[in-house]
Amino acid sequence: MKSAKLAITMLMLASAARAVEVADCRLVPGWEQQGPRREFVADNLFEYMDGNAEGYLIYGFTRMEGVTCTSGGDSIIIDVSEMTDADAAYGIFAANRDPNQAVAPIGMGGQILPRRATFCKDKYYVELAANPEKDHTPALKAFVEEMEKRILGRSTPPDALAWFPTEKLMSARLIPESVLGLRLLKRGYVAQYESGKAFVVAEESAESAAAVMNKLRERIGQTTPTKIADEAFQANDRYLGGLCVFRKGRYLGGFANLPQPQDAASLATALVGRIP
Amino acid sequence: MKTNRSRREFLALGLALPATGLASTTDLARQSLQSAFQSLPASPVNLAYRTLGKTGLKVTTVGFGCMITSDASVIERAADLGISYFDTARGYQHGNNERMVGAALKRKRKEIVLSTKTPSGNKQSALNDLDTSLRELGTDYVDIWYLHGKDSLDEVKDELIEAQQIAKQQGKTRFAGVSTHSPQLLIPALVKKGSFDVVLVTYNFTMDKEVGEAIGQAAKAGMGVVGMKVMAGGFRKVKPGDPLASKLRRDGVMLAALKWVLKNPNVYTTIPSMTDMDQLDENLKAMAEPYSAVEEKILARQLEFITPLYCRMCGKCEGTCAKGLPVSDMLRYLTYAEGYGQFALGREEFRALPPEVSEVRCNQCPSCTVSCPFGVKVAARLSRAQELFA
Repeated sequence: MKSAKLAITMLMLASAARAVEVADCRLVPGWEQQGPRREFVADNLFEYMDGNAEGYLIYGFTRMEGVTCTSGGDSIIIDVSEMTDADAAYGIFAANRDPNQAVAPIGMGGQILPRRATFCKDKYYVELAANPEKDHTPALKAFVEEMEKRILGRSTPPDALAWFPTEKLMSARLIPESVLGLRLLKRGYVAQYESGKAFVVAEESAESAAAVMNKLRERIGQTTPTKIADEAFQANDRYLGGLCVFRKGRYLGGFANLPQPQDAASLATALVGRIP
Repeated sequence: MKTNRSRREFLALGLALPATGLASTTDLARQSLQSAFQSLPASPVNLAYRTLGKTGLKVTTVGFGCMITSDASVIERAADLGISYFDTARGYQHGNNERMVGAALKRKRKEIVLSTKTPSGNKQSALNDLDTSLRELGTDYVDIWYLHGKDSLDEVKDELIEAQQIAKQQGKTRFAGVSTHSPQLLIPALVKKGSFDVVLVTYNFTMDKEVGEAIGQAAKAGMGVVGMKVMAGGFRKVKPGDPLASKLRRDGVMLAALKWVLKNPNVYTTIPSMTDMDQLDENLKAMAEPYSAVEEKILARQLEFITPLYCRMCGKCEGTCAKGLPVSDMLRYLTYAEGYGQFALGREEFRALPPEVSEVRCNQCPSCTVSCPFGVKVAARLSRAQELFA
């Protein structure tokens, strides 16, 4: 028991040390740290993120390390946020990314824009912002490459994202609570399509997923059973439009906001086939 | 700690996209009170309205803080049910939130009051922000444009006030506001300045009466007062699985907290965050039911539960320990360990304290000279920190 505790403590220390190494101005020659290092936890994040802290907390924010680096007249603010897990880190990245720009293969995903770069890898979400106004892409890229190397761990996006059919897919992201605005669907992935959206929620077990299905039927009201996966239903909802929800083992999924429930059902069938 | 200014700049980056010729031709003065509020649609729920100070805007006492909402259907439904005030900000999800809010409220734009905020620290970038906000929200004006998160008068620069005046003249906003998490400090100065129509303030049942008095001062000066963090945002800091979670999120606490805020007639509307239909339905009850004695008890119990544990970091205890302990810092280290399971971090911070501080043991003092105005049991909590980390 003692050795397990020691191992956990060592892991936590290792993790803390790693965050320090990641946010380091010396990673790129010619840059030096300006001012003290910043460190925040959930309790005091509001001091730094006044007005935006909840947007981090909802994704399981644990702590943040940051530095401001300068070179000549340029400065880059680097913030490395540690989230509860890699899925959460991907979640906050996807929620904050510029949807009009492509996602680059940096860690689990990243974007480098003229004055801003973000990426996520393992349970870390990294943000860089450059001043003054001009194209800082080379410097941002240099920092991102070095930082990405120093973060060990997962560099593949959550598996569930690959389950969504790619045709006419606009974006896919983690919804940290209340998928489709329904509290019953606690946390899951939603893919936005040119028309309609798909979702996948993982429950603990097939039994608990079945229980959620029953509650969903009650919540939505008039539903029509459909033969998809283990169980499914179609419905028309004022806000969710034509929808189809299915259960496959411990997974709940489906399509919503389509003109007709039948449209949702045919798309849901395609989604079912991609869930292992 | 004043480290947030650079962060504001950060938030502004990448968001201030070039203005796209959103020249507004809207004559807002003409529009001002001819909005659809005079013919509000019937709602299946009981709605309560108050007038937002000198703006004359009639708003439901429960509004909608859109910051963490993920699904637009919740916002759409709120608008359909008659909620008339919706709040977002340029910095939320790096602009993605404004985009979603704009799409959700498109059908209802003229029937609702819409506000957004800029984190910018200078005139030009603030005005650029507003143009971007209007484009993302899909509207040619907002009803209230706030300077975001200003906690001292130094941050409320004259050039930002000038930006708000320009935006008003151009018809891009109807009213100018400031949002603050330090109402007791900032409101008196804002009242003196007289440049703002609305103030968005942190206000909840955990706060002392100074905040209520400051709000009263704003209302007396004709400012519209909007309450945020009305459910004592700290609830969200408790992570799923934390043994505190079930106690902090007990049934009825959120509704009671919202009703507590609305009990103050100087708070004209509120912007609780809502992520799902159930929260929406629950919050709507705050307009239909009075604050009850039962809820008074629920909140008293909640406060009792929170108080001995949670340091608000108000700083009032600084310098009052006879042994020179940095009290709020040490309580924070304890929160790292107990609240977030970050024992190593708490210990690391504790051990970085100078020896003359880290070697002090509170149980050696005959009595404690530190008194927390909010009732945190300081001596017991510091002893706990020493026991854990020393």
